[in-house]
Amino acid sequence: MASILTSYRKAALGALTSKLTSNGSLRALSSDPEEISHPGASAEQLEAYRTLFGGEAFDGVHRSRLPSVLVHILGFPLQLQLMTRDDFPLQLMGLVHLSNQVEHRSPIAQDQPLRLRAHAENLRPHRKGTQVDIVTEVFEVQAPGAADEAPLWRGVSTYLSRGVFLAGKPGGSEGSRSGAGFTPPSKTAMWTLGADEGRRYAAVSGDYNPIHLSGLSAKALGMPKAIVHGMYTAARVLEGREPDAAGHSWSISFEAPVTLPGKVAVAVEKPDEKMQTFTGWNPKKGRRHFSGELHLP
Amino acid sequence: MSTPTTTRDAVIIGGNRIPFVRAHGAYAKASNQDMLTSALNGLIARFGLQGEQLGTVAGGAVMKHSKNFNLVRESVLGTPLDPKTPAYDVQMACATGMEAIGSLANKIKLGQIDSAVGGGVDSISDAPIVVTDELRGILMEANRAKTAGQRLKALAKIRPGHLVPQAPGVAEPRTGLSMGDHMAVTAHAWGITRQEQDELALASHKNLAAAYDAGFFDDLITPFQGVAKDNNLRPDSSMEKLAKLKPSFGRDLGEEATMTAANSTPLTDGAAAVLLGSEEWADAHDLPKLANFVDYEEGAVDFVDGAEGLLMAPAYAAARMLRRNNLTFEDFEFIEIHEAFASTVLAQIKAWEDEDFCRNKLGLDGAMGPIDRSKLNVNGSSLAAGHPFAATGGRIVGTLAKMLHGKPGKLGFISVCAAGGQGITAIIEGR
Repeated sequence: MASILTSYRKAALGALTSKLTSNGSLRALSSDPEEISHPGASAEQLEAYRTLFGGEAFDGVHRSRLPSVLVHILGFPLQLQLMTRDDFPLQLMGLVHLSNQVEHRSPIAQDQPLRLRAHAENLRPHRKGTQVDIVTEVFEVQAPGAADEAPLWRGVSTYLSRGVFLAGKPGGSEGSRSGAGFTPPSKTAMWTLGADEGRRYAAVSGDYNPIHLSGLSAKALGMPKAIVHGMYTAARVLEGREPDAAGHSWSISFEAPVTLPGKVAVAVEKPDEKMQTFTGWNPKKGRRHFSGELHLP
Repeated sequence: MSTPTTTRDAVIIGGNRIPFVRAHGAYAKASNQDMLTSALNGLIARFGLQGEQLGTVAGGAVMKHSKNFNLVRESVLGTPLDPKTPAYDVQMACATGMEAIGSLANKIKLGQIDSAVGGGVDSISDAPIVVTDELRGILMEANRAKTAGQRLKALAKIRPGHLVPQAPGVAEPRTGLSMGDHMAVTAHAWGITRQEQDELALASHKNLAAAYDAGFFDDLITPFQGVAKDNNLRPDSSMEKLAKLKPSFGRDLGEEATMTAANSTPLTDGAAAVLLGSEEWADAHDLPKLANFVDYEEGAVDFVDGAEGLLMAPAYAAARMLRRNNLTFEDFEFIEIHEAFASTVLAQIKAWEDEDFCRNKLGLDGAMGPIDRSKLNVNGSSLAAGHPFAATGGRIVGTLAKMLHGKPGKLGFISVCAAGGQGITAIIEGR
């Protein structure tokens, strides 16, 4: 598998070449999956994750399974490999992570060998361009020739390519401005994110996208400041809230990016025992950064 | 086996504290140990305890240097008490002093000890500043290295960002919200107005000033480093002056923000101690018996995702404690509610007076209230005196015991909230 840095390098070069066909429209989406074996997350990776998010110890008894964002992290290089393939119709650099949905059906242990598979689907219009779903599935390792069982973990990452429109299709209504008229709920937490929060998550996740690393590298890509990874916010909300034994699902939608350094006001609400909603916003400007739901088994 | 089948009274003999001063001021050069030793020395001098071997001395500090692992024992060794007096440290955030005194009273009741001193101290001016987790990890790795090469390899990981000194945080670790911002959410939920809070703050200053004028604190305070009086006290404060202040907490509530620097306690340095004993011990030493420490109750709430307000634990502890003692608020002569913020006091009172809260949250048949405001913090409280975290329990117990002295059977109620969603309530009885 190509490393994340190799993928970003390839993407940077690819940014110079057109993804458009000779008649100026986007290529069709290939559903061919990318697939790899993975040795599983190491104790060091789990500890690095814990150091960043400050949760309870992975003591091997009371907590030993992978947090669902760490599973996402394992599959992320595969996503990049897929999105830097020549037949992928959108440019990787500049893609905006709009939302993520995860079904974490079964627990995944440290050092548990896995098969990861990713494919793209559902290329569709968005108000500002074109969006696509990258589906990542994580399976137990099977005997050769055996059919895959249901995935242990399934994630759908939705990305937007801005300013690129599908041939013959007007800008979609999907993705209409959902942040308008946002009234913040009563906050239950305040996150203080340092200027290095993007670099710290990059060190844990391997996602060294320059928009997260520093103000300068972000400016080079048109962002006024470095922004934190969307999945960092998801991981931080889920820490201490998702069950070690899995069986849960969650979703998150990203709106205004969180610039670094910065503060994020957060509200976690529990409408019932099985469901929690969470919202993050800028406490000064009142703009929503993210919102989502966690469904417990 | 000597298991007692009955308990005896734990008697509050007296209290002593040093004046509380605003942080980074008069006591900027004093350590926790300096201040606690001074408060103990005052107590020892007042009650003639020189050379006395006490049962136990317990107390603590919320902000404590790692070198002060035996803060109270080291302080005791600096006093004229018999060095064979044992001592231990306690920590329960702002309820540290109450927990120390309450647990010592229990030991006396059980006959395990005959005398004790409980209290606490805190310094914001000499707060422990530590290195970052990253730098500590690297230094420890270098410490474990067996060769110079390994040590260099570890030390080479140090980055400029690791060198920034880390002051103790004011935020709750699990929410990142400061205590004031937590309280602002609770105050808003209970609809507590700016006017009510400013009135409570003003009353605190007026009451404390009047108590000083009447000489009430003459035998409760010994001077320290040239200070003889709490220096946060503003006897000439007025509603007009308080109304001019801009909100300090909950500012994202905009027009509805109500908490200011005046209706919130300032960061303060200071120490307080209380002498307890059995009736027999007090009599044998010819010491006064101001009041009995009757009972106390710890409480905690689920505040992390906002199911309950951070500082509301005393509301729950009080319900259990009063039910256990078959008492209502009407049975109390004086009510002392620690003024972490004016709104903390008001939120607890509103909760006890609220039918729904008492039924649904406390599991009672109806409201616990009403609370007679004329019994509340009649000699001032933390808004005026200041609040050196662990010292507040000792200040309140010493003050309330003196107020109840000469009123046999009359009861006093104490509520102290604490970080981490905790709190303590207590009952003392005059004699």
